Amino acid sequence: MTKSKLPLIIITIGLIFAIGIILVGNFKKENITKIDDQRTEQVSNIEIKDGIQYVTINAKGGYLPRISTAKAGIPTKLIVKTNNTYDCSASLVMRSIDYQKILQKTGEEVVDLGTPEVGPFQGTCGMGMYNFQVNFE
Amino acid sequence: MENKKYMLHVSGTHCASCKILIEDILDGEDFVKNGRVNLKKEIIEVEIEGGKNIEEVITILNSKIKPNGYIISTEKIVREKESNSVLWTAIPIGLVVLVLFFLLQKSGILNLGIGGETTPVTSFIIGIIASLSSCLAIVGGLILSLSAKVSQDEGSKKAKKPIFLFHAGRLFGFAILGGVLGLIGEAIGINFLFSAILGLIASAVMILLGFNLLGIFKKNKITLPSGIFSFFRKAEHAVWAPVLIGIGTFFLPCGFTQSMQISALSSGSFMSGLMIMFFFALGTLPVLALLSFGSVSFAHSKHAPLFFKSAGIVVVGLGLFALLSGLAGVGIINPLFSL
Repeated sequence: MTKSKLPLIIITIGLIFAIGIILVGNFKKENITKIDDQRTEQVSNIEIKDGIQYVTINAKGGYLPRISTAKAGIPTKLIVKTNNTYDCSASLVMRSIDYQKILQKTGEEVVDLGTPEVGPFQGTCGMGMYNFQVNFE
Repeated sequence: MENKKYMLHVSGTHCASCKILIEDILDGEDFVKNGRVNLKKEIIEVEIEGGKNIEEVITILNSKIKPNGYIISTEKIVREKESNSVLWTAIPIGLVVLVLFFLLQKSGILNLGIGGETTPVTSFIIGIIASLSSCLAIVGGLILSLSAKVSQDEGSKKAKKPIFLFHAGRLFGFAILGGVLGLIGEAIGINFLFSAILGLIASAVMILLGFNLLGIFKKNKITLPSGIFSFFRKAEHAVWAPVLIGIGTFFLPCGFTQSMQISALSSGSFMSGLMIMFFFALGTLPVLALLSFGSVSFAHSKHAPLFFKSAGIVVVGLGLFALLSGLAGVGIINPLFSL
């Protein structure tokens, strides 16, 4: 009885790990963000123009780049770009600035973040399964 | 003639309302003078009018209560030991389904570009995508848990009616509410907090029903006040309950639904809003119908115990996923994961 269960238990443990890896997804997501970071070194998602820092995030099937780094202490605006975005990432929530809005399917949403202090700034989608983070340093 | 007292065993009692239901049936019989149900011991104590054969009485009573899923016997029915090994087969099956679901979300296949204006055709296609997306975690999970639960309680034949009513209510509700959005051009159901709370309630219901399907609560049955349970019992039979839940899915948190609601909102007329939301709901129908009617036919097969338990695993998994995401969305906890 117990012996016949053993393979099933092993499979179960394996599957639980698989789900954990998929959800937390560091190995895959990290690669993507690394590639993205390389890309962003060429075409950075951080741009300072006329003393205002612009942070650009693409919203479609999640937020990219998921983690970006920007300067603290200067006036900052967040640009969230949508491109035929119907999924959850179109319903943008940023708790710390009390912001929630369902974005246009295609367009750019500019959100004034004021002058951020040092620390992480987080945004999620309405259902919460997509998120992004901007680290102000 | 003197009355005789008997102690009978009863099986299939899974809720506090079962006591009331069985006692009602017992009271309805002339020859039963006094019938009391002890849920903990799964025993019925009855006083039978003299002259009646106990075997005869059991046959009559069983014919009355079997449709409700209970069986009375003089001997205690030993619950099959194999339920444990069924569980150990069901867990991997359920987990594989969850892995496939999350992989589908992560693959990016669903991030198709659909441009241009929102027409009935694009609404329909977006509906199909939505029904496979992470929205399935809430809406699909809820449908799976409810239809599995109803099939378990009611048997497969009776389960089809409430499921049909649910889908009809959903299509009807989306059409009418979409029309209203187009007409008044104001946000109903797009209130974030409202839909987030509704989503959290739905995930809690899913987790509870999931554990119920797994039979985890068999030993220590959750005993909500019997008033609430008999309300649920009645609701299971009522026409309005599945229709109302179907309409209510309009307000559940789902990015696609919310995007379409915005489209309906800006469409400018009752008819155009109605068309957008109706065709969107129609697009979600194939997958959702497959889930619900599929579970009914599984529940009818010989693999029913395995199906209920596998469905329980899937539902608990999706419920936890939806609950944790929902809490992160509301800002109560930090996001634990990102798809």
